[in-house]
Amino acid sequence: MEVSQIVFLILTVTLLGAAALVVTTKNLFHAALYLIVSFFSVAGMYVLLEAGFFAAAQLLVYIGAISILFIFAVMLTRGTALITPLNSQAGAVGVMSAIMFAILAVFLWPAPIRLQEVILGGFRLLRGGTYGGEPWQFVPNNADTAAVVNNATLRLGAALGDFAQYGALLLLSGALLLVGVIGSIWVARERKIADTRADRSEAAADARHEAQLESEAEAREAAALPAGAHAASVEGQH
Amino acid sequence: MDAIFDSINNLVKIIGDAIAGLVGSLLPHPISDIVVMALGTLAIFIVVLTLCAGLTYLERKLVARIQDRIGPNMAGPKGLLLPIADAIKLFTKELTTPAAADKWVYNLAPIIVMVFAVLTYAVVPFAPDVIGTNLNIGVFYIIAIGSASTIAILMAGWGSRNKFSLLGAFRTVAQLIGYEVPMLLNLIPIIMLTGSMSLVDIVERQWNTGVPFLIYFPLSALCFLISGLAETGRSPVDLLEAESEIVAGFHVEYSGMKFGLIMIGEYANSLAIAVVFVSLFLGGYRGPILPPYLWLLIKTLLVFFGFMWLRGTLPRVRIDQLLNMNWKFLVPISVVHILLIMFEGKLFVTDPARIAATGGILVPVLLQAVIMGGTSIGLLLGGLLLAGRSVRGERLQHDADMTARRTANQKAAMALVK
Amino acid sequence: MLNGIPLHWFLLVAAALFCLGLFGALARKNAIAVLMGVELMLNAVNINLLAFWRYVNPAGTGGLAFTAFVFIVAAAEAAVGLALIISVYRNTQSIDPEKLDQMKL
Repeated sequence: MEVSQIVFLILTVTLLGAAALVVTTKNLFHAALYLIVSFFSVAGMYVLLEAGFFAAAQLLVYIGAISILFIFAVMLTRGTALITPLNSQAGAVGVMSAIMFAILAVFLWPAPIRLQEVILGGFRLLRGGTYGGEPWQFVPNNADTAAVVNNATLRLGAALGDFAQYGALLLLSGALLLVGVIGSIWVARERKIADTRADRSEAAADARHEAQLESEAEAREAAALPAGAHAASVEGQH
Repeated sequence: MDAIFDSINNLVKIIGDAIAGLVGSLLPHPISDIVVMALGTLAIFIVVLTLCAGLTYLERKLVARIQDRIGPNMAGPKGLLLPIADAIKLFTKELTTPAAADKWVYNLAPIIVMVFAVLTYAVVPFAPDVIGTNLNIGVFYIIAIGSASTIAILMAGWGSRNKFSLLGAFRTVAQLIGYEVPMLLNLIPIIMLTGSMSLVDIVERQWNTGVPFLIYFPLSALCFLISGLAETGRSPVDLLEAESEIVAGFHVEYSGMKFGLIMIGEYANSLAIAVVFVSLFLGGYRGPILPPYLWLLIKTLLVFFGFMWLRGTLPRVRIDQLLNMNWKFLVPISVVHILLIMFEGKLFVTDPARIAATGGILVPVLLQAVIMGGTSIGLLLGGLLLAGRSVRGERLQHDADMTARRTANQKAAMALVK
Repeated sequence: MLNGIPLHWFLLVAAALFCLGLFGALARKNAIAVLMGVELMLNAVNINLLAFWRYVNPAGTGGLAFTAFVFIVAAAEAAVGLALIISVYRNTQSIDPEKLDQMKL
């Protein structure tokens, strides 16, 4: 049992446990915190995969920004009370997810499973090839690979900046983010009173209440005037 | 003679290697690695926390002197045992937990604050070859850790089940996530010039060319300093813990050692910003005569002295002024600065081989540094001029509004009296 | 084989995370929780992409670029989705996806 295998198992347990708690817990704030734990575990997996840049990006983007957005949204929609976690179709969805995982597991498990061979071979035949196929070619684990992996970030930066490769897509995603920022600020802006239905009905209720109070005050004054006039006339008489 | 000199210079490395060798001979291979790494982490922890404890005393003395009073002088001769007295006080205070608090969230928050504060020191080079781990994304890692540490504050604010804590936590998080942007933007010129995000490479480049990045990018240094101060919540941007304003903000419900953890975490964070600033802009552990670790210590303490000076001198900034300064001043000027540096980096090259390839003007390194630094300062002054004009316009408008409102009120009062 | 971890371990973990996220997205009674499920699914996709990048073709940048774009789009989508949820809450006081089935508020 190597160290990295132990680390992988710990990360798996943390990740899947936290994800299971995210989708079943009653308290939305706790769900956001479990989501953060799962993001941390995913960052750990990225480190195991020697994609260190993406581990740091996961911390920066997901935990440092998206999780905070989730927590703010939970606060702003008063979701801090306990909610019923699952809706009416939860049972069917659970069964369907389990079946889907079983199918994926059949295909992702390495070769000795006969079913996978048969199905994949059948697909290859359908596409007009031969039944037998090549398995994934893995790169060897030697110094060349280590060198290539070590300057992966540099090559990614070069590819993202080069317009012949991914530069145009980078500009497009910048535009997407800009539109997203402006759009979300506009959609979630604070509206003036009586602009939203809830505030409108509240404003109407307030107006009715004020009108009622005013009419009561007027009635009291009207009632007091004759009494005052009576008192004045009584005094006047004396 | 030379041997003695070398051994003093590499003292930290020699001690580290000796301990690693000792442990390696006692334990089998994978476990000894883990034990050595744990011992290294423990060493960093001890050094950083001891330094922070001493700095709390220094800060109080310095701020007191700035305010023309003596400061703590009762705990031991000249008050030197103050950190120990503070520690004893914090340890013996009762560890309360509010009855309605979310126990796990409330109790985990100070621990997470502490953990993230110390994680930054893993990539800072303390001496040549003495570093936690030489990540090739070192600077990016520091930003990521700073960004992820905002979660601990939200946990602290929400876990206390206290409206003031929550309000303080929200304002804190708005400030923290706002100031990450200029911090990252201002590191980009350095990364562009060095070609690497590793802190070791940045320090070595400053030594190889002999010119610290402070001369190349004074605007970046200033904006990074301001953003770093805002990130850690020190005065003059200490709205996060303003005792006089929002009842101490997100840590109002913490007492005893939990509060101690948060406080020391904040100091460790400030010290981390100071150390990173020194490595990025002032040349890190490099210096002429003294051993490298002493140079790092001296430079860091000088920068931290600057922080303490700012704390004692400047009044607190309002939250809207703070966020305005960030989004309307720091971010635009940092972006324009990046464009300027890109342009100048292409135009004034120091490497003759690149002239043949892509063209440009050949200049010696110092001239390139001075040109970049000069244009940075020009940009800063221009930006300050524009910002000052708009701020003055706002203030005049605000004064006019207030005057109009006051006269209207006076008129209304006179009408009532009549 | 990277330090003793075969590729299919990563793929199975990603598949499990994807199925959990799918369950969360379809079976939860609160719109924010649905978005949390979507984020889990996007993370699973990222693990998958990076695993294949590392094991099959680390010299290429396609896997890395794809992952970077998934990060970007996930962030944008989370922001816009949450803004919409907040706006819907302000208008109807409810963010139960089962109740929000009319186009008119």
